[in-house]
Amino acid sequence: MAALLLTPVLTYLFLISYYPIIDTIWTSLHQGSVLPTQEETFVGLENYRSVVSSSSFWNAFIVTMIYTFVSVPIEMVIGLGLALLVNRGFKGKYIAQAAILFPWALPTIINARIWSWLFHGEYGVINDMLIRVGILESSYPFLSNPDIALASMLFVTIWKTSSFVALILLAGLASIPENLYEAARIDGASKVKQFWYVTLPLLKPVILVALIFRTLPAFQAFGLPYGLTGGGPGESTTTLVLWAHQITFTRLEFGEGAAAATIITVFAMVICVVYVATLYEPEVR
Amino acid sequence: MGTDTRERSLFKRYDPQRIGELVGFYGAIILLCLVSFFPIIWIFLTSIKPSSEIVQFPVKYLPSEIIIENYRIALEQAPFARYLFNSFVVASGTAIVCVVLGSMAGYALSRLEFRFKLHVLMIVLVSAMLPFFGRLIPLFNLARETGFLNSYLGLIIPYSAFQLPFAIWIFQAYFKELPDSLEEAGLIDGLSHIGVLFRIILPVSAPAMATTAVIVFIYAWNEFLFALTFMTQDSMKTITVGIALYQGEFTFPWATISAAVFMSIVPLLLLMLFFQRKIVEGLTAGVGKA
Repeated sequence: MAALLLTPVLTYLFLISYYPIIDTIWTSLHQGSVLPTQEETFVGLENYRSVVSSSSFWNAFIVTMIYTFVSVPIEMVIGLGLALLVNRGFKGKYIAQAAILFPWALPTIINARIWSWLFHGEYGVINDMLIRVGILESSYPFLSNPDIALASMLFVTIWKTSSFVALILLAGLASIPENLYEAARIDGASKVKQFWYVTLPLLKPVILVALIFRTLPAFQAFGLPYGLTGGGPGESTTTLVLWAHQITFTRLEFGEGAAAATIITVFAMVICVVYVATLYEPEVR
Repeated sequence: MGTDTRERSLFKRYDPQRIGELVGFYGAIILLCLVSFFPIIWIFLTSIKPSSEIVQFPVKYLPSEIIIENYRIALEQAPFARYLFNSFVVASGTAIVCVVLGSMAGYALSRLEFRFKLHVLMIVLVSAMLPFFGRLIPLFNLARETGFLNSYLGLIIPYSAFQLPFAIWIFQAYFKELPDSLEEAGLIDGLSHIGVLFRIILPVSAPAMATTAVIVFIYAWNEFLFALTFMTQDSMKTITVGIALYQGEFTFPWATISAAVFMSIVPLLLLMLFFQRKIVEGLTAGVGKA
């Protein structure tokens, strides 16, 4: 009976999720799969060699690493701050929750378009506000200066995703029993001590969940650079997936694209395993 | 210290420190709301401004007159009505597939005993971690060979697979909490497990169905990578692709884009308005219990 209910789902997942991963690896070891008629020849690691010897790949790799490992920790801190701020009963909590939920619900690519307008070098409202309060003297090219474009992109993703972290952590905070805080108060622990010795340790498993949920998408960022900067100026905001998408679907190098895709998959899995290995504690409570 | 502060706040209700804390707290909440909603408020303001006031610096914050011309252009001259319709079909289709398949697997995993249960659960969960780009190229080839490029099903099928782990997770968590007596009654009446699922369990599972459907709908509405790659024909583009690729003839059409952006967000705002609690519950399902 269980088989009857599960077979469609498992077949589906194997066909759409697992088989493609294997097929990507197969494609990455062959040449000439662009035209269906053309015979595919086995080339071994040739595609990987040309990917790894391309300076654009390493540029995209570094951009992606900076993007991921700068944005995620900042999101964690801001998300935790937001969660602690909202984690109490007060008038207007519903609106505050909506304000937290809204950036999550926005489509990434449309968010990118919105911020490319807010950051606009000539008519952008952010420039205008910064000039009005006296921080800037004249309009600043936030998105077209190669030294600053990645920072602008980080700002946008932190704006969008800190709130998701806050939602996850709020659920974690709600599950911490009140009597633990009471006990800590009776023992004379200050608010700060309560945070360090009660909240943070008990929040650890939830922080792990939030870390994985945020790191994986950040590592695969595509829509944000596509819509905000197009990967530029130059290649200063070209992420791995954006780069791999270009070589696959613009330059039609399917073999190299598949090699890049395999590298991305392996890295994502490694990140997951590292997180779980360092942070997971089986059943502390 | 705890009892101490409580006593003090009882005696001195208008203690300046307490008022200061309140002001600081609500100040922070208002700042949060402003920072969150400012971008979309700004897009809305841009969309109702006359074109001349959009390309102006220093920026003119409020329009001198409110116009709906930009929305008319977006819907009639530009194909945004079509894009919105396409997104609606794809997102609804994905939500339906996920509810049907997700409830079936969720039922088996939560209420039936069978071997390899843990393995099945692992297969489902690990598939949620696989990078999308790692699956894009073969699925693109598959869609091309089977004629699924530029078709709604071409997106619904992969989107559903991507969201199935989430759907299964929500359903199995919900079904676990239902009383055993429900299905026992059905089984005594001679229904099969599938009959029990569709006739007895699902009708009382509206909350789980709503949570799954709403979040999957938002996901499918927002997806960009596959939509961009699979929908190459203009008439089949979803709203995210349409907005990302829309170019004006001469100058960049910020007015039209702003109107389109605002319209693309309206369904999301409505879902948030009606299902805010469900969405939050769904996103955080299992967190804290684990």
